[in-house]
Amino acid sequence: MINRTLRHVVLALIVFIWVVPFVALVTTSIRSETASKTSGFWTAFTPTELGHRFSTHDGDEFQNNVVFSGNIFDRLNTEDSNYAVTGEVTSILFKGRVPDPDNAGKTILIRKLVQPGEPMEVRDGSFVFQPNGDFEWTFPEATSPKSKNLDAFIMQDPTFGPDAYIEVLFEDKNVPNALISSFIVTIPATIIPITIAAFAAYAFAWMSFPGRDWLFVIVVSLMVVPTQLAFLPVLQGFSGIASWATQLNAWLTDCEVTDTCQVASKSFAGLWITHTAFGLPLAIYLLRNYIVGLPKELLQSARIDGANHLQIFTKIIVPLSVPALASFSIFQFLWVWNDLIVALYIGPNNAEDLVFPIRLQKQLGTFKDQLHLLNASAVISMVVPVIVFLSMQRYFIRGLLAGSVKGG
Amino acid sequence: MTFKVKSLGTAALATIMMAGTAYAGGHSDVCNTPTALGDLGNFEGEVITIAGSMEGKDEEMLTNTISCFEKATGAVVKYSGSRDFAALIVADLRSNNAPNIAIFPQPGLAGDMAKEGHLVPLGDDLANWMANNYGAGQSWVDLGTYADANGKKDFYGFAFKMDLKSLVWYSPEQFEDNGYEIPTTMEELIALSDQMVADGNTPWCIGVESGNATGWTATDWMEDIMLRTTSPENYDRWVSNDLAFNSPEVVNAMNIYGQFSRNDDYVAGGASSVATTFFGDAPKGLFSTPASCMMHRQASFIPAFFPKKGEEVANGEADFFYFPPFASEDLGNPVLGAGTLWTMTKDSPATRAFFQFMTEASAHEAWMSQGTFLTAHKGANLDAYATPALRKQGEILSNATTFRFDASDLMPGAIGAGAFWSEMTAFANGQDAQTTADNIQAAWDAIK
Repeated sequence: MINRTLRHVVLALIVFIWVVPFVALVTTSIRSETASKTSGFWTAFTPTELGHRFSTHDGDEFQNNVVFSGNIFDRLNTEDSNYAVTGEVTSILFKGRVPDPDNAGKTILIRKLVQPGEPMEVRDGSFVFQPNGDFEWTFPEATSPKSKNLDAFIMQDPTFGPDAYIEVLFEDKNVPNALISSFIVTIPATIIPITIAAFAAYAFAWMSFPGRDWLFVIVVSLMVVPTQLAFLPVLQGFSGIASWATQLNAWLTDCEVTDTCQVASKSFAGLWITHTAFGLPLAIYLLRNYIVGLPKELLQSARIDGANHLQIFTKIIVPLSVPALASFSIFQFLWVWNDLIVALYIGPNNAEDLVFPIRLQKQLGTFKDQLHLLNASAVISMVVPVIVFLSMQRYFIRGLLAGSVKGG
Repeated sequence: MTFKVKSLGTAALATIMMAGTAYAGGHSDVCNTPTALGDLGNFEGEVITIAGSMEGKDEEMLTNTISCFEKATGAVVKYSGSRDFAALIVADLRSNNAPNIAIFPQPGLAGDMAKEGHLVPLGDDLANWMANNYGAGQSWVDLGTYADANGKKDFYGFAFKMDLKSLVWYSPEQFEDNGYEIPTTMEELIALSDQMVADGNTPWCIGVESGNATGWTATDWMEDIMLRTTSPENYDRWVSNDLAFNSPEVVNAMNIYGQFSRNDDYVAGGASSVATTFFGDAPKGLFSTPASCMMHRQASFIPAFFPKKGEEVANGEADFFYFPPFASEDLGNPVLGAGTLWTMTKDSPATRAFFQFMTEASAHEAWMSQGTFLTAHKGANLDAYATPALRKQGEILSNATTFRFDASDLMPGAIGAGAFWSEMTAFANGQDAQTTADNIQAAWDAIK
């Protein structure tokens, strides 16, 4: 009993640790820009004291009068947004020089937090504010003061809104384009290797041909080749093919300018080939080990019934291997979806063809200080693998059960 | 059901395409410059590819500027920017995937690529044009002249888009509230910093983190101080390593930089935060509530990283003053600067026309009008500058008694974009000045 409780506590703790970053990401993406910049996500759910800088008035709004009045919240909420600042003004930071009591003729800087109702000297006038944001600025004689920026601390009510998502999805076409590009890259780069690997795995598991084991060892050892090592030769190869294709294009069609003749060497097809090549060794290894473990009797009886290799493969091996195929697909999909470096070197580099990780990396430069936008993009890019995982999970379990019933 | 999904997809595509058209159309007014654009020829349907490291706001301004070339010639210019430019361009050039134009932020790397034979010489006409039409023209030509594999020197790098480095950014409002005056000598600047500490303020925001280029902000500080503590001739000898990196002049400059950056009272977040603060985040301390620092020494491009993307400069929330020289040294008014170098990596008539376009005053004015762009082009109309602040920077550029390029840009790539950066980061993390200088000199000896 204690054992079980302990297990649950440990599990809950692990889940909690894994969930915290996600909650942080989502929370930040639905907060206002100021709030996400100036305070941690854990402060988002309760009223929090945040600093805001407001100006007393616009340009020449205050003309020739003794008393001016306004409202701090009206000054802050001049722009229409979902994140209007509401709450209670707790203090204003006052800075200024006053005569030094210890050193005659010298001044010292004082900084203090002025409370509501307490007058402070701003541009020779007396400035008094209330917790609800109303302020009154009184001068000894009629004057037209220059506006003044003041730092107010406001106990702010929590506000959430979808603005960041609307901005990244609809403001420009970058994020939607990146989503489309990522799908264009990921779907073929998952289907092609899994198809080839399934055939190869069957051959390695159930067909006997000379040098089979050696060939398998070579394929498995290819798993350790780092992708980075191959960039230059692979790129050189693609560029050779592309220039050949460009010449062929110029010869076959009557194109005259580069725009219509040029065949790009950095393309989606290049990414499919590269991801396939680097995904195959692991895929073959995984599927072969799974297929070799299927009951031998099934295949033998199929043989006796007169099935050839292709029939055995399509009618028996593939349906039985659904769990292995599904788990590898998830694996490959996630790897390609999240891949940055292969896409950066080998993929197309037109602004409209960039895949999601590159777009996120570019946003790091553009939005580095706009966490809410960056996080909104990150959440959008995370949603896809989560959907893929959850939908594949069904096949995953079904395939597993089917295997257990038919096996033996 | 299938039909519904399909039509939804089509609708989404149409929306995206429409958004694209609207976006491209929105910025065409930048081409309407004081000086008219000359005739560049017709290159309808030709494609020019450009690779560079500019992203974000810079990329937007670059794209707007090249749209003027597209409008004038009918060519299609495709720019791809990545923060990993330095790594990507090497792979692209070595694997025959060269773009037409590569924009190098570092002359060191451009020189390496010229040596490998990946750059196409731009020719003497452009070199002569630059020498005659740029302020301090010959030094710009020298910056873009490299040796090829046989040691033959040619002009490869066209300087376009300059940065002025010797600037200190501050918030006039903060200075007014605190009663601070703009210092005109280094002695006054140090006294002001001490005054700020005594008042309970933090004088400086310093951050040198920049991904795989971490440390370059510190090298800029070093170079600015070198120009203020030793003669310009010594500076040139330092760049070519005739003056050893661990000589007393250099170590002295590093120690003076250390007085600023390794002083817990001087730096917001303490000296230990310098190496881990992103250089673009550092100036935000000027505008936080309450302000976490009073001053920030950085080049002219930095307003793009301010919270409101530089609007602060236009509306008076931010201003800058010249990083002053020591009154005791009598070295005049030295100015440190840099420029991006546009090189031809794949020849084509349209690409040649693009370089012609960059000699046009109109091309400079188109970018000047969008902000954070300085030019040494003497024919460009100064009225085109987007803000009075930029104009003021242009004047600092012309009032300089000594003008020197960013030394780390001129040093070999392994030093200027390698050991100098990494060792200055180690210096920020507590390594002493002599060891730092010795290590850089050792790295330099290793590549000789």
